[in-house]
Amino acid sequence: MSSISALENIHQKGKFGDCEEKNENNLIKISEIKNLLITQIVQFKSSNVVCEEIKIDNLNLSSKPLSVVNNENTRILWNGPRNWLVIKSKKETFTEIDEKFKEDDFAVTDISHSKSIIELEGDQAKEVLKKGCPFNFNEFYKNNCLNSTFNGMSIIVDMINDNPDTFRIFALRSFGESLYHSITDSSLEFGYIGK
Amino acid sequence: MLHIKCPYCGMRSQNEFSYGGDASVKRPELNKEISDQEWDSFVYNRKSLRGKHLELWQHLSGCRQWIKVERDTATHEIFNTHKADEEIS
Repeated sequence: MSSISALENIHQKGKFGDCEEKNENNLIKISEIKNLLITQIVQFKSSNVVCEEIKIDNLNLSSKPLSVVNNENTRILWNGPRNWLVIKSKKETFTEIDEKFKEDDFAVTDISHSKSIIELEGDQAKEVLKKGCPFNFNEFYKNNCLNSTFNGMSIIVDMINDNPDTFRIFALRSFGESLYHSITDSSLEFGYIGK
Repeated sequence: MLHIKCPYCGMRSQNEFSYGGDASVKRPELNKEISDQEWDSFVYNRKSLRGKHLELWQHLSGCRQWIKVERDTATHEIFNTHKADEEIS
């Protein structure tokens, strides 16, 4: 597996756009998130297992659309009916998932290396997302997630905080560079710090 | 731009969907003897209705589910959406 992150040679640190005479706290912060473990869990249509009763890291799988259940180390994103993304920030093995999700009922796939992840932080972050994504972000709150598009690229958005607004944007690794340029171009108007 | 209410995700932009054709076309039953003409009709022949119409759409950039949409082909008004396996009376 490659240990080179998706935006290793693309992400630039520093201040960009309309930054002059602005307090750093009012600028958007853009960073690449590395080393997350991402597992996709899909329940087969033929399976009768009640997923809400299965726990990962003491978290239940939620069947509520757009919802994220989370604790300090793990976030479980609803990714569609019978479909979840488990995102772990800690270097752990997938033993627990492998034990609880039998291959007769579930397809479990490690997609950690197939995503590029951009974190967008700041009070204007929603305005940046609104520029390229058709979703109504006025009704998007902390611990919500969604699948949508940003300038035509399929993305997953996970809102991890609301003070200030902080989003993780996941795209296919091969779209990482395009997405990064789309996000940074949209942020120039507000000024951003590449971290 | 159309806004389509996905039965799973809620109201979303048409950009996230992909059109999948006429939802009223039924595949001939498996192992049933049918004529070439019937097969031809199933594969190729479509009515181009003006007015209320049942269509298949896939929420490709969302939950990736197929859904049925009742849409007026003249005004683009969307009356209702259903899950793909839902029976519509």
